[in-house]
Amino acid sequence: MEFYSVLGNRLGMREVPPLLAGLMRQIPGLFERDNDAAEERLFPSPTQDPHEQGLREDWKAHVEPELHTLFLSARQVVEADLRGFQESEGGYTLEFPAAHAESWLNALNQARICLAAQHNLDEVELSQSGPLTILSERDLAKLQIHFFAALQQWLVEVLDVA
Amino acid sequence: MAKVEEVPGSSTRNEPALEHPWNVVVHNDPVNLMVYVTLVFRKVFGFSREKAESHMLEVHHKGRSIVWSGAREQAEFYVQQLHSHLLLATIEHGES
Repeated sequence: MEFYSVLGNRLGMREVPPLLAGLMRQIPGLFERDNDAAEERLFPSPTQDPHEQGLREDWKAHVEPELHTLFLSARQVVEADLRGFQESEGGYTLEFPAAHAESWLNALNQARICLAAQHNLDEVELSQSGPLTILSERDLAKLQIHFFAALQQWLVEVLDVA
Repeated sequence: MAKVEEVPGSSTRNEPALEHPWNVVVHNDPVNLMVYVTLVFRKVFGFSREKAESHMLEVHHKGRSIVWSGAREQAEFYVQQLHSHLLLATIEHGES
């Protein structure tokens, strides 16, 4: 699998193995509204002060809806880009506009947060390198989180240069 | 890109409005990548790479870092910006 950019305005990856292409296609669907742990992490309180109940209520009423819209928009951009996956001899190829990099970073973060919450992955597990064996859905989630982190690392490098 | 001026404690002591500034605190979390946190600090606050990395490392090693201090409304705005990038951030009243 190889990452590349085309004249600075398109980003791509080629020779993506089918398993990894499949994991990427799951990105938009990993967000779950009914997962309390994920919801709490995606929409955290703006304060730890117990006397700031008013701020919490304002945040829920005015800021969270904006964040919901922003996060949904990022997932929709990625979902549309993922439709561009093309099968070729060495695996799959995907290209998307470089201007979508921010949406990709955001959607990948949402996906990693949701996976970690769904599988109760703690800090130690998340800081370890990817699993050497895939024997359970939990192992697969760890692989997916680490793969998405590698994608994010690449996108950060792209944005850092831009 | 939003850029802000730093408000170090010593320079605000003579300004009544900022005598007890509100702090924007970023908390450690196991999901966000260190390079990503650095990028967000640079983007949201206009920090230099060195300053952004310094705050990122403080978050990583100490669990939290005060990344900005000043008026409450602006602090809330920055927390919203940080939440939009999925960083864990809160506002807290600065010590007198």
